[in-house]
Amino acid sequence: MGRLDEAAFAAFHARSSRALRAYVYRVVGNPSDADDIVQDAFLRMLRAEVPADDEEHLRRYLYRVASNLIVDRWRRRKFEQGAELQSELSSPRPRFEEDADVAKIFSELKARDRALLWLAYVEGESHEEIASSLGVGRRGVRVMLFRARRRLRDLLQARGLVNS
Amino acid sequence: MTEWLDLGEDDERAIAAFMSRVANLRIPDPESRIPDSGQLWWKAQLLKKWEAERRAQWPLDVMQPIEIAGGLVAAGLLLYWSLPYLL
Repeated sequence: MGRLDEAAFAAFHARSSRALRAYVYRVVGNPSDADDIVQDAFLRMLRAEVPADDEEHLRRYLYRVASNLIVDRWRRRKFEQGAELQSELSSPRPRFEEDADVAKIFSELKARDRALLWLAYVEGESHEEIASSLGVGRRGVRVMLFRARRRLRDLLQARGLVNS
Repeated sequence: MTEWLDLGEDDERAIAAFMSRVANLRIPDPESRIPDSGQLWWKAQLLKKWEAERRAQWPLDVMQPIEIAGGLVAAGLLLYWSLPYLL
């Protein structure tokens, strides 16, 4: 199995870094932390010498590492407890009032829900791919994703954006 | 494509539309602080080299206190056996 050489890594980095950063930023809500996590994820992927034959496998590995780093960060800072997370998530400043509403609603979801919804809807990943990206079981993904969608639906309903 | 547990069609449409808005939200300073691929590659090679050196050094680090302890025990035994001749 081939290993990544510098040129192949440069091409892979060019194709994947922007999307990975968007994912991490949308889940953690802080550009500085997102940059740190993205950089760390690429470094860990390179140090692990993941076989480079299958780019999709590389991409999955990268997202799994990034997702684990996000979880590690939450645990370290106890962001799940709320207040600090909320203040941080309010830091991105979208240009338009409506964008601010969208960002605010999305930030009210749990971090795991944001990750699941992003991977499913923005990246268009299947349950199996999401399971691989997040390092969880495929069956669990189906249920977790359903709950995430239901929580988002409830938030949209509470704002009158979806009929009750 | 992802298959869903049931939510109503209207809910599904609203969620898909909302996520499409989320996907298009502005990301501040695109890739502002992320080093380019060349720097990342170089840094990873450096880290791998340090890790390899640490791995190579590890047996020496472990053996050093054992060697010192062994030397002290041997010196003690030598002294003990030599005592009758020294006195």
